[in-house]
Amino acid sequence: MTAGSVDLLVVDDGAALRGYDCRDVVRVEEVAGEPGGYLVRLGRLGSPREVACREVLGSVALTAREIRPVPEALRERITGEKPWAVGLTERGMYLLY
Amino acid sequence: MMSTSGISPLGEAREELLREASLSAASGREKAQEESGPARSLLVFFLGAEGFAVDLAHVRKVLRPTRIARVGGAAPEVLGLMNCQGEVLCVLDLRRILAPGKETAPAAAEEGKFIVVVQHDGKEAGFLVDSVRDVRELPASSVQPVLDSIDPSRARMFEGTVACCGQFVGLLSPSACLNP
Repeated sequence: MTAGSVDLLVVDDGAALRGYDCRDVVRVEEVAGEPGGYLVRLGRLGSPREVACREVLGSVALTAREIRPVPEALRERITGEKPWAVGLTERGMYLLY
Repeated sequence: MMSTSGISPLGEAREELLREASLSAASGREKAQEESGPARSLLVFFLGAEGFAVDLAHVRKVLRPTRIARVGGAAPEVLGLMNCQGEVLCVLDLRRILAPGKETAPAAAEEGKFIVVVQHDGKEAGFLVDSVRDVRELPASSVQPVLDSIDPSRARMFEGTVACCGQFVGLLSPSACLNP
């Protein structure tokens, strides 16, 4: 990570691409007996939590210029964990958690 | 025969007619405005065969949909996020907003459709619509109350009703449509 950028672990939750701060990742586990199922354990930076995902796509570095606020219209319509930003790159769009 | 200015008498007469027509139209508009109050510019669009309108003052732009990224855990009316010239736009399914709690057919492919970007009170979202018909300028007095036949849960989404394009068209309330 450099100043003004963030390294993200990008996962596919089956509906969308999510990005988690690499520094927050404790480990990634493959779920036994469920091909394509992974469990990402987080909590190095905050409270421990787990996220189930279909696929781990790798890491990507986003600069501050590639980060946008979450539109209010979406923030109000999300239940559960809310993303803190949206990563917008030529390669795609990621919700950052 | 040409006049000294190089414009034929016929051309001059036509120009004079156009000037008069323009003055007459302007005076007609002013008179209509005096009689019926200020005019409202409405963007008219369709969902299937049903027409809707939204005040142009709240329309930021009209776009063709590009790739819409889905969002997990979002309400059913959220179609996803779209890169709108470097800004992230939340795209909503107007069909679902207008029929809360009812099963609607999933939004078909976005090809050939439009996204009407509506802004109100600092909030913004894009509404996927099937077609955009027209911009109509109507006297404000022509906005009638919402039809009684409309379901109350749906009626709150409208400011009123206007007669336009040969049918009654629901004038959407941007505030109600943008706020869940």
